Amino acid sequence: MVYYLIVCRSLTYAQRTHAALERAGITSHILRAPKVIDQEGCSHAVKVSERSLADALLTLGRVGLTPKRIYIMASDGSYKEVLL
Amino acid sequence: MIYLDNAATTLQKPPAVPRAASYAMCHMATPGRGGHAPAMLAADTAFACRQAAAELFQVEGPEQVVFTFNATHALNIAIKSLVKPGDTVLISGYEHNAVTRPLHALGADIRVASGPLFEPGKLMESFRSQLKGVSCVICNHVSNVFGYILPVERMAALCRAGGIPLILDASQSAGCLPVSLAELGAAFIAMPGHKGLYGPQGTGLLLCAAQTRPLLEGGTGSASACQEMPDFLPDRLEAGTHNIPGVAGLLEGLRYVKERGTGSILAHERAMTCLAARGLSEIPGVMVYTAADRVRQAGVLSFQLDGMDCEAVGDALGARGVAVRAGLHCAPLAHQSAGTFETGTIRASFSSFSTRREVDQFVREVAALRRGA
Repeated sequence: MVYYLIVCRSLTYAQRTHAALERAGITSHILRAPKVIDQEGCSHAVKVSERSLADALLTLGRVGLTPKRIYIMASDGSYKEVLL
Repeated sequence: MIYLDNAATTLQKPPAVPRAASYAMCHMATPGRGGHAPAMLAADTAFACRQAAAELFQVEGPEQVVFTFNATHALNIAIKSLVKPGDTVLISGYEHNAVTRPLHALGADIRVASGPLFEPGKLMESFRSQLKGVSCVICNHVSNVFGYILPVERMAALCRAGGIPLILDASQSAGCLPVSLAELGAAFIAMPGHKGLYGPQGTGLLLCAAQTRPLLEGGTGSASACQEMPDFLPDRLEAGTHNIPGVAGLLEGLRYVKERGTGSILAHERAMTCLAARGLSEIPGVMVYTAADRVRQAGVLSFQLDGMDCEAVGDALGARGVAVRAGLHCAPLAHQSAGTFETGTIRASFSSFSTRREVDQFVREVAALRRGA
């Protein structure tokens, strides 16, 4: 299944992001960012489904939570950064 | 034991507090250090605690709520973030050593806004006259010795008007008085978790609205490839493993305060203070420090017995099953301001769990001690 990872600058921001999405009815999940996309070493990401990304970005924009970076996980398991 | 040393630590906690701390010890790991369930459970608890504190103290974002070991730790971070050696700092005459010692260690130029006990008008006159040219103001919300509620709202307004950062020490007010980071416009508010918030010892909070300087450096579970501390809160100020059992207990303490309401807690503590003050005042040879205007005093009461050393009185009351604190209460400046530095005082302090029966018994024990019975 294709999904997006919204990389956050800290665990607390990931938690804020997750809470904002849940409040908007968007299912999400916090996880440690995979090493290959984790440029600073140890960060957290919020996982959302492919169909939820647009709504998720709108929701986060409304509450002032700017994603640090967003990646899409391709079907072969690789990650590609999504330029907004 | 009749426990009346709540200004040091509240001993009686809501039952959910020790339950949560105990559960956390067995089931929660360290937030941010793993993606496994025990780490994520700890992360959820820490976030819920930050959110509860942010809501209670009107902090914009939960990331601005930083966990500390106690209020002293929080004050040290705040002071060392804002004050440089040689800076001029204005403090009230009722500060604790948690404020004055870091300032002395930094070599700050300390101005003291003084005024007699329970006379906020005089204190404000002194404050206004010394405000010009200071780089920071630090003020106690409630004196830990006398329960004196300082006019911090008026001080904060002057600080805002002058663009001067304010650090508020809410050690005795968090949980019983309205404390709002947003309304005060303070740079930092420091508070313990183990007093009026009914959390376990080893917990404290620093509410941040200014640039910070870490007091400790180390692992944060974030930005690990970089050798600088992260530039974002709360990670910037939270190096090392969190006291998660403490945080879990503090969360339940915050929930208790929210459910009961700070106004209700203050009303109860004031009622206990007034009852004790009235009873003690009727005992010959007892000097009680109370505010004529009761809105100026929270749930802390100092007194003295003529001709008796305060520490001896504290010991004697302890032997009679009443826990109070005697001496200078780590606040020599407050005693200087009130004129009790040479003698010290005995302090009784109340919580939402103090009862009328306990206060009546406490007064009877002081009376018996006075009679030599």
